[in-house]
Amino acid sequence: MATNIQLPRLTRPEPRGIGWSLLLTLPIFIWSLLMLFRPGMDTDLKSRIAATITTIFMTVLFFMMMRTGSTYRWRRIFFVSVGVLFPVGFIYNIVLARGTMGIPLEEMIAGRTPFCFMPIPMLILPAALTKTLIFPGTIASTNHGIAPMVGMWLALTLVLGKGWCSYACFFGGIEEGVAAIPARARIRKLDPRWRYGPWAVLLAMVLLSLALFEPAYCMWLCPFKAVSEYVTARNTIGLVQNGIFVLLFAGLVIALPFLTKKRTQCSFFCPFGAFQSIFNKISAFEIKIDKGRCKPCLLCQNACPNLSLSKESIARGETLMSCMKCGACVDACPRQAVVWHIKGTEAACKPERARLMFLYAAWAMAVMFGGTIIYGGVATILHFIA
Amino acid sequence: MAVSVHFGEALALGLASGPACIAACGPVVVPSLLTERAGLRPHARYLSVFLGARLAGYLLFAAVAWEIGALVSLPPGPRVLLMGAVNVLLAGVLIWYAWSARSLCGSSCVGSQLVNIGEKKNRRAAGPAALGLLTGLSLCPPFVAAGVRAAELGSVAQALLFFFFFFIGTSVWFMPFISFGCIARNEAVITVARMAMALIALYYISLGIAMLIGRKAYGY
Repeated sequence: MATNIQLPRLTRPEPRGIGWSLLLTLPIFIWSLLMLFRPGMDTDLKSRIAATITTIFMTVLFFMMMRTGSTYRWRRIFFVSVGVLFPVGFIYNIVLARGTMGIPLEEMIAGRTPFCFMPIPMLILPAALTKTLIFPGTIASTNHGIAPMVGMWLALTLVLGKGWCSYACFFGGIEEGVAAIPARARIRKLDPRWRYGPWAVLLAMVLLSLALFEPAYCMWLCPFKAVSEYVTARNTIGLVQNGIFVLLFAGLVIALPFLTKKRTQCSFFCPFGAFQSIFNKISAFEIKIDKGRCKPCLLCQNACPNLSLSKESIARGETLMSCMKCGACVDACPRQAVVWHIKGTEAACKPERARLMFLYAAWAMAVMFGGTIIYGGVATILHFIA
Repeated sequence: MAVSVHFGEALALGLASGPACIAACGPVVVPSLLTERAGLRPHARYLSVFLGARLAGYLLFAAVAWEIGALVSLPPGPRVLLMGAVNVLLAGVLIWYAWSARSLCGSSCVGSQLVNIGEKKNRRAAGPAALGLLTGLSLCPPFVAAGVRAAELGSVAQALLFFFFFFIGTSVWFMPFISFGCIARNEAVITVARMAMALIALYYISLGIAMLIGRKAYGY
């Protein structure tokens, strides 16, 4: 997998003019205002400051994407911020409401468990066979309810495919941040067969969820229980479950990303990521490799945080179906051979236009979803420091 | 007349309980089927052996439970021990299965004694038979429901026949699994199936050990 190529200085496309970049950023600025100052948001001073900071943050990042023509590094700043600030706001609210990060059994029986998108693939078969939702949450509540979350996920996924994992997931940012810390990878050789891991976890968890009639991934394997919430440990089994969460988090989200500079939890474990890969097939946006321009130097393969490029796929001029559309490979290519592409159009046909269309859709979602999370985290921090 | 009504009831109970049987056996059947050779015939053969062994497990348990008078309600102690042992054994077979499939490559490779993939002369029925027998003994909810009804019948022979017709009803739901034979086999499918089997085995073994040493599950 890994290659020991001396990385050359990357040539960047010419920067766009400031006026043109501002004009392209204007819709995102207006969208941010609409999302973060909408009716129903808190109106106290600290909340207003948090909303203002978030609006500026999201707008400036998009402006820099427009100005520099680079996507990945600006997106990464946003994504890492979401990953870091999500636990801040979420844990604060959970502790405020319950006094603990643990979900008492009574809360689960009462259907008050906040729903996240992870168990969505595990709900389908039990719902189809028995007309029962196996997640102990509320269906229609606007506060982490199942129906709003599934509806939002479906709409965004149909447009962006696995772009969800780079612009909406509020877990992946932590490992992307950790992976960015070391200057170089300590572990470079990764067996490509580990790429099948997410599919195996998906298959096992879907089948076990159907057999046990509970979201097995949430009960046993979710690394992010360590930084969100978990089943209250009342006996040895509960302790084992929580021990698994902490170990998986320490290994897949902290240690391995640090050693490999890859998003190892997303690449080797996340069942939701595997599920999202299916939707890459119907999403209009994709990354293509212009075989006429490609050398191939494999810089794109090295840059991919998700092992979604192989020599074979590069030779075919495409990414693997696990591509998260983060833009790292596009930015890394010194010959501009890796390009954004809209299905149904000719390869390398106006790639910047395809990039813009994708980024408008992705960043609108990022503001709505991640922006709200950043706002919540900033508001929580302001609450503590002021 | 009354006897045929009983057996019709068993058949209907089996048909109605089919989705629950699929759910209970799915973690065992699906990944192990995915390590089979592609093609409808190998899958039909696998399912025949698996279901036959599952029937044997049903009948064996029913006969023993009838003899000791425990068909309606097996006491909690022995029930937990039985299920714990079955879970540990299932985990062992799954791990063996996953390990045995390591050298598979597409349509025809040499498997171990337990796995029936590979050259025709090497094909074995032990794998699906072991899995079928163990799932037959695993006391899933539909099986317990059938046991309660069968216990009301007049003789052990009638109870066994009741279980047989119940089994026929549930088995109808397994037939769509034959279509898995249409899925092309390659390194990706085999590897995913093997990894999934290992994960499922880990779950079974932890649950089985917890049952055997008397720990309660899930914090209840």
